[in-house]
Amino acid sequence: MSTDEAKNAIFDSIRRNLAASRPFDAVHCESHEPAAPPPTPPRAAFSNELLIENFRDNFEFVGGKLRVVADEPAAAAALLAIIKEIKAEKIAVSDAPLVESVTGSLKNEAEFVENAPREFLFESDLGITSAQWAIAETGTLVLESDAERHRLTSLVPPVHICLLEAKNLRQTLGEVLELLQKNPSRAVTFITGASRTSDIELTLAIGVHGPGEVYVILISDFGFRISDLEAGDGP
Amino acid sequence: MNQLTTENFDRNARAALGDAQLRGALRNLAVTFGTRRKSAIATVDDWEGLRDRARAIKDETLARLDVYLAEFAENAEKAGARVHWARDGREACDIFLRLLKEREATRVVKAKSMVSEEIHLNAVLEKAGIFPDETDLGEWIIQLAGETPSHIVVPAIHKTKAQIADLFTEKVGIEKTDDVDALTKTARRVLRERFARADVGISGANFAVAETGTFLVLENEGNIRLTTSLPKTHIALIGIEKIIPKFADLDVFLKLLPRSGTGQRLTTYQSLITGTKRSADGEGPDELHIILLDNGRSRMLAHPTTRQSLACIRCGACLNACPVYQAIGGHAYGSVYPGPIGAVITPQLVGIEKAKQLPYASSLCGACREVCPVKIDIPELLLHLRAAIAEGEKEPVRRRTSEKLAFKAYAFAWSRPVVYKLGTKISRLLQKFVAKGDKIGKQNGLLAKLAPPLGAWTAWRDAPTVAPRSFREIWKDELEKKD
Repeated sequence: MSTDEAKNAIFDSIRRNLAASRPFDAVHCESHEPAAPPPTPPRAAFSNELLIENFRDNFEFVGGKLRVVADEPAAAAALLAIIKEIKAEKIAVSDAPLVESVTGSLKNEAEFVENAPREFLFESDLGITSAQWAIAETGTLVLESDAERHRLTSLVPPVHICLLEAKNLRQTLGEVLELLQKNPSRAVTFITGASRTSDIELTLAIGVHGPGEVYVILISDFGFRISDLEAGDGP
Repeated sequence: MNQLTTENFDRNARAALGDAQLRGALRNLAVTFGTRRKSAIATVDDWEGLRDRARAIKDETLARLDVYLAEFAENAEKAGARVHWARDGREACDIFLRLLKEREATRVVKAKSMVSEEIHLNAVLEKAGIFPDETDLGEWIIQLAGETPSHIVVPAIHKTKAQIADLFTEKVGIEKTDDVDALTKTARRVLRERFARADVGISGANFAVAETGTFLVLENEGNIRLTTSLPKTHIALIGIEKIIPKFADLDVFLKLLPRSGTGQRLTTYQSLITGTKRSADGEGPDELHIILLDNGRSRMLAHPTTRQSLACIRCGACLNACPVYQAIGGHAYGSVYPGPIGAVITPQLVGIEKAKQLPYASSLCGACREVCPVKIDIPELLLHLRAAIAEGEKEPVRRRTSEKLAFKAYAFAWSRPVVYKLGTKISRLLQKFVAKGDKIGKQNGLLAKLAPPLGAWTAWRDAPTVAPRSFREIWKDELEKKD
């Protein structure tokens, strides 16, 4: 097959050219010594209060809207308030258990559709997902396709609401990459704020292809207080 | 309109210099992206260390590119992707055509991809009757206008909103408006229909991780996510230099690329794609094809100087920082990749004969090297290419006899203090006839008549006049004053 022929030719060319470079490599004095990676701040350095605060700062910096609530009933109330505010009628939801349990009590308030077909998605006013991780230092949500069918629900509707458990917050990008690397989902999506473009005269426009608004409802307590969580989860 | 060939660089550059609107847009670009970049890199503790780590990772990858490339392909296939190999653009286009034909696909959406520009994919597909829709706002604008990108990150930077408004009125049929939000909403509305019915989505990639077979696409708009999520088939075209060894290396590159490119800490979306569906009812395309493209890249491995071209992560920072790019924009280069990085990779990709002028499109000021997140020594590369061009000349560059004589006289005078002193005195007298202010330039035609070699020198630049008093004279006076 011709692509095998191409493959072999490419590998031959790589090896041949690298071999040709060897005499020059020896005298090419410039080298870029890999500086030691900066030490990762220990988890304990960030109390959960501080993590939430950092996340809030950075998430709001990119235009996100944060609601911090104590538990699932409070999350449902916060969600309902947003739904009413934006007058959402057609709502696409992901298959995450958290989304199911929080939206369960709101079934009479609007039309919630899980695994929504495309036609519904393109007409929907709101998409609701959870997130497997969130990065405080950048205000980023991280969604894994193996855990949740999130790709279209978090993208197609004009508004995205993410239900986030505080225990999934991490301070750095590096920490989250470490959690993902063992067996990355087929699709991992990092979301930092609303869809944006500056393609016309470098003027910022929001909501070009994805959602123009992103909300996070952060559920900060699951039966224990924030300080208990820190004690149990420390290094 | 500029002719898009590198042979015409001089003429294109001169035309661009006369385009006040273009220069305004480029000034805006340099200031906006320059400022944003500065504040974004200040959010990293050790920016220099990060650049060194990135370069070390790239050096290590390129030194064993065959090993990492094979590892990437193996892991991507294990995860369900089908990997194809293309020696050049033609082979890559043939693979695209074959895949589209097999699927009877006619409706194709495209995410912004510089490598697809490099192989002129759209033109090839159009010849075969397939008209792909560019979905990045900037790319869509220039596709509607029948143009090419003038910047690798903001492709339509050369167009004003008034021009875009006219374009949308003519091609999309909207009422004329120069409200940027309204123009953006138009793109959303029109392209949504294209997304909904597309058979195939085509994307590039920013990084490909050998360890896991994952590749990443970074964006702000969401069109890449739609392109790679909605159609049944996803084809990704990836240059072989995009490989990085470890998943953890992404920590380094995801910190560098958005900060250097648009001055963001992270772009809005990163999609990390590893193979295909793992269950029948999972979301996303049924099939994923990865085309790995060489197209002249492996040749660049043959010398450590040229090899560093392959470390480039296409952030565009060198374009924004370059005084030449800032003055003439991207189209004058006549190449797919403009700016400093374009001036070094274009001659290597298309052959030095076809892009001889590009390595000279630089004052070697080094601004590009300063901002490059992977520390590519672009001035060194430019000189390397200039040397190659000079060596390739059949005859050494012939200097005019008058120029030779002038340099001989110059050398004679400058090595003899008495003659030097006398020479400066005579010059001071003579320059009165040719200087304007403190410059000798082409604005005074007399110079060309008086001194032909200097006349040639000052055709493109002004020479400074000899100072009214020399340093030695001033020094002597100062000493006497003190005494």
